[in-house]
This record gives sequence, structure tokens and C-alpha cells, in this order.
Amino acid sequence: MIVRMSKVELAGPRELLEKVLSLLRDTGILEIEPNSTGFINKIDRVYIDSYLPDKSSLSERLFLEDFKDRINELLSYLPRIVIRSGYFNPQSIIDTISETLQKHLLACRGLYRRKEELQKELAELSRYNIFLDAVEPLLSGLNKSPDLDFIGLTLKDHDAEELLRRALTHLAGDRYELLTSNAPDGTQAGLISVNKDISDRIKHALSDKNIPEMKFPSAIGGLTFVDKIGFLKKRTSEISDELDMINMQLDSFSMKWGTIYQRVKEWIDERLSLFRATASVFVTQMCFFIYGWTMSEDVTKLRERLNKDFKGRVVLDELEIEEEDLDRMPVILKNPPYFKPFELFTRILPLPRYTSYDPTPFIAIFFPVFFGMILGDAGYGLFIIIVSFFIFKKFREKQNVADACRILMIASLHTIFFGILYGEFFGEFGHTLFGLEPVFVERRTAVIPMLYFAVSVGAVHVLIGSFLGLITAVHRKMKKEALLKLMHILLIISIVSIVASLFGLFPALMTKPVILAIFIITPVLLFTGGLLAPLEVIKSIGNIISYARIMAIGLTSVLLAYVANHLAGMTGDIIVGTVVAGLLHLLNMVIGIFSPTIHSLRLHYVEFFNKFIEAGGRKFEPFKKADKKGGNI
Amino acid sequence: MNLEKVLMAFAAALAIGLPALATAWAQSKIGAAGAGTLAEKPELSATIIVLVAIPETMVILGFVVSAMILFGV
Repeated sequence: MIVRMSKVELAGPRELLEKVLSLLRDTGILEIEPNSTGFINKIDRVYIDSYLPDKSSLSERLFLEDFKDRINELLSYLPRIVIRSGYFNPQSIIDTISETLQKHLLACRGLYRRKEELQKELAELSRYNIFLDAVEPLLSGLNKSPDLDFIGLTLKDHDAEELLRRALTHLAGDRYELLTSNAPDGTQAGLISVNKDISDRIKHALSDKNIPEMKFPSAIGGLTFVDKIGFLKKRTSEISDELDMINMQLDSFSMKWGTIYQRVKEWIDERLSLFRATASVFVTQMCFFIYGWTMSEDVTKLRERLNKDFKGRVVLDELEIEEEDLDRMPVILKNPPYFKPFELFTRILPLPRYTSYDPTPFIAIFFPVFFGMILGDAGYGLFIIIVSFFIFKKFREKQNVADACRILMIASLHTIFFGILYGEFFGEFGHTLFGLEPVFVERRTAVIPMLYFAVSVGAVHVLIGSFLGLITAVHRKMKKEALLKLMHILLIISIVSIVASLFGLFPALMTKPVILAIFIITPVLLFTGGLLAPLEVIKSIGNIISYARIMAIGLTSVLLAYVANHLAGMTGDIIVGTVVAGLLHLLNMVIGIFSPTIHSLRLHYVEFFNKFIEAGGRKFEPFKKADKKGGNI
Repeated sequence: MNLEKVLMAFAAALAIGLPALATAWAQSKIGAAGAGTLAEKPELSATIIVLVAIPETMVILGFVVSAMILFGV
């Protein structure tokens, strides 16, 4: 439901402005309107101006904005840890904090930059880690003579090793040693030891064969291969130690100062929000005026609170809502617990205008009915209700999942109801098992009666939508629009009557007067809606026929259930038959959850809501603390 | 009599088959454009659902005509 709003004016002496704004922010129930049009009389405009902050307010605002930027920078250097709530008043220590902030900022910035440098270096060294880990065990078995040179390389597989051995034998005869080891990433780390006099030739040959040598950082180019490996291991360990130390320092700083700076930041945000709010305040020489919107149910509570806190020096007046206010009034939706889960479906729709309707109650009433009409199987309904109940129990804290389960449970109850009407319990299994007979109609054979039923439901649904559109137009005092809607409804009823009489569902005697009525309605329709008005009527007829999907999709569901049972019977084995039937029924149920949901929603979004819901509403955004829900008086 | 049945079945198949193809073609175009739109403006999801759903009416109308042919309404 769209909550009733009130247009209000607060007035009081200028010196109380800050306190009043502070109270409004704490209560979080008033949306301040920055546009004074419609609030201030033309005569009074001479005396009332927008509030302009004085020099000290401006300098305080600039100081706080700069302070906040610096705190944000400091907090960005600190690790994300759970910060305790601070209950001290930062106003008294703001000067002290201002002095320490610069010092802390420099220290943390330095630590953070050093941390970034080390992390970068560690990432570069980590490229060698796989090779180093694989090669390290080989080093102990090596001849470390000064005449020998070592070449490290990575081989893709064992075949590459064989090829390499052949190439090395060709180049160096038996004057080489090749040791390999499996690396954790599936490659092989290779280590060639050769005499220094032929090592360059081998390196060139390897390069020509696209077997690249493991290149180490240029800074350690002067070291021997064994020393390089030792150096890299040692450096990696040093960096890890230094990083641990820096993280510890930042953690410790965060534990000690994080809460204080966080609380100061919150306080600055609160102060700045007050400064921003003053831009929407109007003043005379002596008084201030705040205009805005609040829920009608909160007006009395807010007035009492103002009287209590300011001893009658600040007054709240409820102003008359004028025609031009309707388009800019903020919208807030509130629904009773039964309707609430269905907001899941309406959340994706644009917000309705204040003068329109909240689509939630309509979808909450009709969606389960359509779902039940489409699926219409007591067995399926029972199964879905049990499954959704267990999912609901398990994921109760997840709002969207819980809402979806609640909707499914309600829709399943309707499915059971329609299942009894259609005489379906896992298809015709109910009839075989306990003689369940259709109360209303057997869907599998009565195709045409079901088609009439579905289209009739569509006609009623579309007409309800059109009637609500008529009521909206009447409420908004749009006479021509209201007349158009009325003619539209009458023409649809007339056309439906004629079609019904053609199919023998309506007394043929009534046909002539109805045709006569159409001849009278059509010119009025053209006069009120223009040449395109008849097109709207044709669109509505199309919308009504679209409800045939209720029968069409229901028919596929019942036929699939029928096939499942008959296929199971054809197997001639009770176990195989049960498995086949179970699987097909399960498939049918999965389809039976998605398909009716999508098509029922489509019928609402496309066929129903466009008849009466006007989108384009503005969300109610009360002036409040950033992390707080409104309505705390 | 048999030929008449065959022709009726053929007519019913055409009555639902052709709109089904038309709907599928229209939805493929709208769906592709809609997916692109949603990537940039997720708040338009309801509008996209509505746009994708609009051509479905064709196949439903086809189904109704097909049922009328088969059941001799």
C-alpha cells in the first residue's frame, strides 16, 4: 500500500536551526524539500530567502571536509578489522586529533608504501619459487667445482628431457651432467652442469631450440648459480618477515586508533550532513522555515517531540496538498505481513506515483490464483509446499529466499485447491489410488471449456485493471481521461458480450442492443481519446486472449503427468515404473514452478498493471543518519 | 473425410507453428538487445521482461486458433 503523506512546514527562531536539524536527523522521519514552490505564498516571498551560511560556518565546513578526506586516506591504509563502537564525543578532542592525524598519516602512509614495494618484489620473486623448490634437492648432489657453469631451465615433459639429452650429447659429448626434478605445477625443473668453456655454446644452442634458460634478476647477475638460488631464498624469507612486521604494526595501530578515527569520521559525517541540510532551509531575519514531507501517521509524534524539546518555540504546520504537489510527492510502500513477500516481484518494477496504486496487494491476491490454476495438481502442490517449507527453515535469514519460499507456499495451497477442482493428484494417479474425481472440470479432455474459463478470467482481470484506471482518473479529476477509460470499459464489455453470444455463451437476443451500444460508444471514444483510442481497445482484447496461456500451459503440465503415469505402467515393473514416473513427475514439477511463475508475472506486468499503474514515483528519502532506519521518535 | 482431417491437422499445425517461429525470432532480437541494456542499466529489468514477453501473445493467439480448428469451435 502507498502510505499517506503529509506536506509540512516547520518554523522557529534562527538560533534553534541547528538543534532542530539535529533532531530531525535523529528522528529520520522528515524528507526536506529544497524547492519552496507550493510552500511559500507569493506575498511572503519578499521576506523569505534561502539560508546562506556565515563565514565561520563555511570555514568549519571546509575544515571538516579536508579532515574527513585525510581520515579516509588514513583508514584506507589500515587493515579491515572489526572496529569497536566508540561512545565518546569527538567534538571535545577534535583539536588534539587534528594534530595527531598528520603524524599518524605520515607514519601509516610510509608503512603502507613500504608494504606495497615489498609485495611487488615478493610477487616478482614468486615466479622463481616453483623452480627453486624443485631444484633445491638437486644442489646437494652437484659437483660445485669453480670450473663448472650451471644452466637452469624448465622442461614441459619427459619427451623434452630426452630431446635435450640428445642435443647436449651432440654438443658436449659426455662432458655434461643433467639433473631433473618434478615441479609442483607438472613441469620439470632441469639443471645442466658443464665446463665454463662450452657453456656459452650450449646456452646459444638451447636458445635456438626455444628452450629458454631460467633468467634471474639482473641485480644478482654477478653471483654463481648456487649463490643466486641461496640469495633468492634468503630474500624471499626476509621480505616475508618484514611484511609480517609491517602488518603487525598496522594491526596494532588499527586496534589502538581505528575506533577513535572511525568515530571522528562518523561525527564529521553528521556535522557535514547538517551543513548540507541547511542548503534546503529558508530564513527571514529572525526565523527559519523547513519544508518537507512526512508520513501522516508521524505528524502528531513529530509535533509532540518538537514541543517537548523546544517548549513550543518551534511549530509544525500541516499544509494543504495541492494538485501540483501530487507529481512530486515522495512514495513509501508498506504492506501487511501476508502481502510483504510479494514485494519480491514488485521491487523490480519502477516505483508507482503517489496518486497511483502499490502493485504488491494485487500481485499477492492474483498471482497465487493464476499459479494454482496453471499447475492445478494437488500432489504437486503438496510436494512443493513441503520442499519450500524445508528451504525456508534452512535459509530463513536470507530475505529473498525466505520471501520466495513464502510465496511458493501460498501458491502451493492454491495449487492443491485447484488440483482438487480438476481431480488431479500426480495426474490421474489420484483417481487410480483413491478414486479422486474432478469437481469442476477434467483439464486433459475439456480443452475448449478450459479455454473459455481462462479467457473469462482474463476478461475479468483486465476489466478490474481498467476499472482501477478509471478510479485513478476520477481521483485526479481528469474528466476527459475518466470518460475515455469508461468508454474503453464499456466497449470491451460489449465486444466480449458479442463474441460470447456468437459462441452461444450469451443470449443471442442481447446482440442487437449491444451492437447499438457499440455505435454510440465508439464516437465518444474517438472524441475523448483521439484516432488511436480504438487501437487501445484492440490491445485490451489481445490482452484478454493472452490469458489463454493459463489453459495452454496447464494443459502441457497435465499431459506430461499423464505421460509419466502411462510410461510407468508400460514398463511392467513396479520398481522401474516408480523410478520412471518419479523422474518425469519431478521434471514436471520443476517446470511447474518456473513456467506458471513467469507466465503469471507476465500477465500482471504486461496485461494488468499497464491498465492502471502509473510509474514514475519518487522514493521517500528522509533526512537521517547514514546507517540508521527512520522513524525513531 | 481422412483428407479433411489431414488438412485440418495441417492447418492447426501451421496456425501454431508460424506464430511460434515469429515469436521466437522477435524474442531473440528483443532478448539480445535487452541483455545488452541490462548490462548497463539493471534497473530496467522490469521493462525488459515486459518487452520480451510482448511477442508471446502471437503464439498464444496461434494456439487459440489451432485449438478452434482442431476442436471445430
